[in-house]
Amino acid sequence: MAHLAHYREAHPLVFVVTHWINLVCMILLILSGIIIHYPVIPGIMGLCRGLHIFCGIVLFANCLARVIMAFFVKTAPTGGTRKQVPDYKTWLPQADNRHQGIQWVKYYLFLKKDHPLGAKLGVPQKISYLLIPILIVLMFYTGLALWAPTMNFGIFAAGTTLVGGLMNMRIIHYFLMFVFIIFMFIHVYLANVEGFAPTALMFIRKEHGGLVYDPDRHVIVGEDDLGHKE
Amino acid sequence: METEATVSEFQNLLSARGVSRRSFVKLCGAVAAAAGLSGLTGPHVERALADTVIGAKSGNLYPVIWIEGASCTGCTESFAQVETPDAASIVLEMISLNYSETLSAAAGHSMEEAKAQTIEAGNYILIYEGAVLKGWEGQALRVADAPGTEHLEEAARNANAVVALGSCAVNGGWMSATPNSAGALGVQQYLEEVGIDVPVVNIPGCPANPEWLVSVLVDVVLMKLTPAELDLNSQGKPAGIFDQTVHDNCERRGHFENGEFVYEFGSKEEALGYCLYPLGCRGPQTKSNCGVTLWNNRRSWCVQAGAPCIGCCEANPANINDNWVEMNTPFYKRHRDFRIGDWAIRPDTIALGLTGLVAGALVIHGFGMKMTGRMDGGADFEEIRAWDAKHPDKSIGKYDPEVVAAARKGKGGTAANEEEGR
Repeated sequence: MAHLAHYREAHPLVFVVTHWINLVCMILLILSGIIIHYPVIPGIMGLCRGLHIFCGIVLFANCLARVIMAFFVKTAPTGGTRKQVPDYKTWLPQADNRHQGIQWVKYYLFLKKDHPLGAKLGVPQKISYLLIPILIVLMFYTGLALWAPTMNFGIFAAGTTLVGGLMNMRIIHYFLMFVFIIFMFIHVYLANVEGFAPTALMFIRKEHGGLVYDPDRHVIVGEDDLGHKE
Repeated sequence: METEATVSEFQNLLSARGVSRRSFVKLCGAVAAAAGLSGLTGPHVERALADTVIGAKSGNLYPVIWIEGASCTGCTESFAQVETPDAASIVLEMISLNYSETLSAAAGHSMEEAKAQTIEAGNYILIYEGAVLKGWEGQALRVADAPGTEHLEEAARNANAVVALGSCAVNGGWMSATPNSAGALGVQQYLEEVGIDVPVVNIPGCPANPEWLVSVLVDVVLMKLTPAELDLNSQGKPAGIFDQTVHDNCERRGHFENGEFVYEFGSKEEALGYCLYPLGCRGPQTKSNCGVTLWNNRRSWCVQAGAPCIGCCEANPANINDNWVEMNTPFYKRHRDFRIGDWAIRPDTIALGLTGLVAGALVIHGFGMKMTGRMDGGADFEEIRAWDAKHPDKSIGKYDPEVVAAARKGKGGTAANEEEGR
């Protein structure tokens, strides 16, 4: 057994819900955004515009809620433990992550054969997850700068002037969508390439046995197969 | 030439307006007689009229100087198609158009003289059409034996306000698009550079819609608003005209919402008058009220004529790169091009190419994962971090002694794992 045990303490129910909202909104935003950019399917422009604006607002609100809740909800700092700390600490560099950045890159590039020890989030994972809220805020901002009812608000008009006009703003919004798509490709790939246990835990809260990690000693200390032998 | 010296400036102006010297003298005599003056006072009347027609410091008609910089005269042509009031009424009843290269019948030295007198008298509006060319020390545009920039500076310095008419005057327009070899820029930016502090009203468009110019003239001439009282947005454009997009007031907007589009010219959808969005229409991002004002005597406009908006009103007076040609070409594509010199690339190519590259890399990586046996639960964990093995005194993990000992012997947990079984 090579992976850490997947306990529900890693993803409390409220974060499972915010993750579901993220997924649904992002997919609907990408699909409706493609139609808005170029109506490959005629007839649904009105629907797509309404959906796009609705999902954009929901995604932004969900992002705010998720970040705020990170300070009030406790989660496990690593896999393989039921101990919990305030969630925001798992977003910031932890002792478990220290000196492991290069090791992760080497592991992904097959230059290191064994799996680096780490926190709930590996170093590249942690960096990309920290960037996602910023990306969502940027997407929300560029979207409102393009949306007629808000485009003349000083805060959005100033940004449009800064980037050199609405066309450039549109292209930035368009590029950011591809950043989301690329993130989702990598995220879905890495979350599932070594097995579907992380996905099962994240979406349907299904626990899975594995190695037990002590977040105080920062080492693997045993195994908990949860009754289902591999 | 010899004959020029015998003809007065004023006589030039008269002949320019189709008035002969003889009929003017007769008029002066009639004026004197009507006033009960002696016929001998005719010359005095004549001198008084000559001094007041041009260079008048007060009167019912608002003096206007209309200078063409680097222009195609399109904005003047457009002005000739104004609907209400018509161009003749504006020129004869609202303003005193003391200088216009195109509309004045006179030309040459006498016109320059009329301009100089108007500037000296002050209290006028300067309408500037076309781009300002700074290239080759201003010699890219020469008029009346002086750089075009000099004419602008002279006329702007004493003006109550400057109207930058047309996208070229606002920020260089298509002339400031790459490669901009003539150094084109807009009036506002140029005047700021040379330190001339005068209110600038920006009216973009290629050409500018004459109704927009008239609305400014009505505000200033008839409503007696000062430039500071005009309702302008942050770019110095009349807010009532340029704070909504073309899309907001488009007559085909219903088809847009319905998802009824024209994908190619000559199609059935085009005949049905569907929305031109897939053909690159810039309506959603171009701010002006074209669909309300209409063009050419308020008869039609681009979209009604079946052409997608090409965004000719896109013009940021503070940024020559945000000009409508740079921002909107190729016109029939949804996005602009990115250009470095003569080389151009589509944003779509960059985005799709990069995404395809990542997707391809992940597929290859997946094969690597399969080959290294990591897909079934991943690789085994290291027993000790590589850094911890090298720095036992500063170790992050608190390992069992045997793990540390094994690491020392085998230079880290990594080696130990490798031996164990893969």
